[in-house]
Amino acid sequence: MTATATRPAVPGGPGGGFPESAPPDNAPRSGLAGLLELPGAAVRGVVRSARTTPGRLTVIVIGLIVLALVTGVVATVTLQSRKNTINDLIDHREPLAAASQEVYRSLSDADATAASAFLAIGVEPPSLRQRYDTDIARAGVALAKAASDSAGVAEAAAQVEILSRQLPVYTGLVETARANKRQGFPVGSSYLREASDLMRSTILPAAEDLYRIDTDRLAEEQDDASGVPWVVAVLVLALLAALIATQVYLTRRTNRVLNVGLVIATAATALALLWGAVAVTVQSVLVDSGNDDGSHQVDVLVRARIAALQARANETLTLVARGDGGTYEQDWNELTPQVTGLLNEARGFATGDVAREVQGAADSAERWLVIHQDIHAKDVEGDYAEAVKLAVDSSVPGGAATTFANLDDALVAAIEHGRQAFLDDTRAGDRALTLLAPGFAVLAVVAAGGATMGIRDRLREYR
Amino acid sequence: MARGKVAALVAAVALLAAGCGSAGTPADPAPVGDVQAPLPAGVGGADTHGGGAADNNCDTRSLAPNGSIPSGSTMDRIRDRGRLIAGVDQTNFLFGFLNPASGNLEGFDIEIVKQIAASIFGRWEGHIQWVAIPSSAREQVLKDYQVDIVVRTYSITCSRMKDVAFSAPYYQAGQAVLAPKSSGVRGMQDLGGRKVCAATNSTSLATISTAPSRPIPVSVNNWSDCLLLIQQGQVDAISTDDVILAGMARQDPNLEVVGEPFTREFYGVGIPLGQDDMVRFVNAVLENIRNGNAWQNTYKYWIEPALGPASPPAVSYR
Repeated sequence: MTATATRPAVPGGPGGGFPESAPPDNAPRSGLAGLLELPGAAVRGVVRSARTTPGRLTVIVIGLIVLALVTGVVATVTLQSRKNTINDLIDHREPLAAASQEVYRSLSDADATAASAFLAIGVEPPSLRQRYDTDIARAGVALAKAASDSAGVAEAAAQVEILSRQLPVYTGLVETARANKRQGFPVGSSYLREASDLMRSTILPAAEDLYRIDTDRLAEEQDDASGVPWVVAVLVLALLAALIATQVYLTRRTNRVLNVGLVIATAATALALLWGAVAVTVQSVLVDSGNDDGSHQVDVLVRARIAALQARANETLTLVARGDGGTYEQDWNELTPQVTGLLNEARGFATGDVAREVQGAADSAERWLVIHQDIHAKDVEGDYAEAVKLAVDSSVPGGAATTFANLDDALVAAIEHGRQAFLDDTRAGDRALTLLAPGFAVLAVVAAGGATMGIRDRLREYR
Repeated sequence: MARGKVAALVAAVALLAAGCGSAGTPADPAPVGDVQAPLPAGVGGADTHGGGAADNNCDTRSLAPNGSIPSGSTMDRIRDRGRLIAGVDQTNFLFGFLNPASGNLEGFDIEIVKQIAASIFGRWEGHIQWVAIPSSAREQVLKDYQVDIVVRTYSITCSRMKDVAFSAPYYQAGQAVLAPKSSGVRGMQDLGGRKVCAATNSTSLATISTAPSRPIPVSVNNWSDCLLLIQQGQVDAISTDDVILAGMARQDPNLEVVGEPFTREFYGVGIPLGQDDMVRFVNAVLENIRNGNAWQNTYKYWIEPALGPASPPAVSYR
């Protein structure tokens, strides 16, 4: 390749010892230097040939082809990745956010249910036992799902680690509490309170953090998928402007109004612009509405549900502690305004079926607050047995257990509607982009071809 | 021989090469470090305020009994209210605990409350409001008048008498040690440098803190939290009154009460300071309990199976 390679120096060898001479001036330059010279030479060549009309036309057609192809490639890649992002929202991001929601929710529910079951006189009711078992099973499965995606996010991985470590410890404590209770040993209540303390001080905060991280990641990706693709827009507009400018130039030079090739290229570009603008706008609006009517709404409702569950756990633990439960009652007083506040927020934006469910939940919450006053009054006045009955016996009509179940059911239904709305809107957004990426590629090639054809016709006239 | 040397050389070179180009160590698949068992809420060390110090350098005798209920008296107000508010324990097997099978509070202390309520109202059923309180809150609930009486294995001490009034004693206990049967612990002398559990603000905790063998005191809110900690291996022993320990040993056959009681604790009914009429009234009720069959019957039912026969403490008044 290089001049020196053919004439290697042999230092220390016989006859060696004289310095290597520089290659003569008329010899070809070395590869690297020649490469560095290329752009300069090309620019000089282009400038030289652009002084003549055929040369200028050649430069124009090369410029148009390059611009069209670059636009095509950038647009195709951008739009395909946008479509992938939307699919990722549906296939991964939202299910993951839902999984970490489920971890948080089912653990809060387990805490409340374990306390209710412990309050029952004698053996706990099978329905509560089953509810607790289901909560723990769901939390475990949802945690495995949430863990599968936490690897890249250190903060999420830390929360998953806390949850994975402490959940078995928690269930062990609850089972020990249960075994002691069955034998009539008061140490059972100590185990239950230790379990609940572990849940509140360590497990639930980790679950809440994980939930926030995953919900934020969902919202971020929704923003990514609904922004304006500026680079593509600028490129398409530039291509369109270049094509029009070329036609104006040609019309002036040749006095011919229309150039079929360039008209085809312009039409293809305009079509791409129009199609892209409409499809991306529709898609962005749909992804946005998947957020507003779907995932954001779900977020508010899930937070309302979890606050309600935690308030419920505090209501029952106040009774388990029996007089020694001042902190639980305090927590209740802090949580219930959150429940009503979040339900009001949800009422602000909910429509249709969701609005109906949210209204139902708000009504139940209101009734529950009234019943709680009654329970609290009975507990404080010493009518403990009646307070417990009113709080946990689901056969008491209008009792706290039934009212809370109504509240929870309404929120579950509303959350389901919200998730469906997310799925519908986001899927529709995905459909709006159908064939857009390959379409852009084809239209870019058509534009490049049209430009080539149109200018080649003019160039022929100069031969 | 030569081949042995060559092999050794090859091995040495290989070792050297391995040392130079270290490939690192395999990743630990579960880097969990130290695993710490969870703690119950409110675990601490020795008391800083020493509210339960077992000092007896004062006259701990109570006021002479008087069983009448004049109008305008404390008992009269309780009768008008319709219920006696009693601060009790619900975690102390045998003395005051919640029976999960029935949902009722039961035990020796609970019987005392029932007798006092029966003396005010004629019958106790429907006239008692139970308030479960932690050991550490006993003085506070009386000072704040949240309860009428505290009947909760409440030792009569001079420092407590500055804050609350006490009835005459209705039970005599003594501090002992509860340890796992397999541990070889025979008493407080074997517990130097080891963790010993007691309830916050109890006389037992003060005794542990000042024991010559210098054990490490661990304090909790409720007695059954101590049992939980010893079952989880987080403390080596529990030291408090023998009756409380007997209740714990009944819940776990792997534990036993060791050594002779080394203090004397007299349990009295706690009453807000200044309610002398209530003190005299309660003393009259206790007099009846001690002198009639009630004391022996209750003792036989709850305590005798664990600690053997006993009789009520001798009482003298100021």
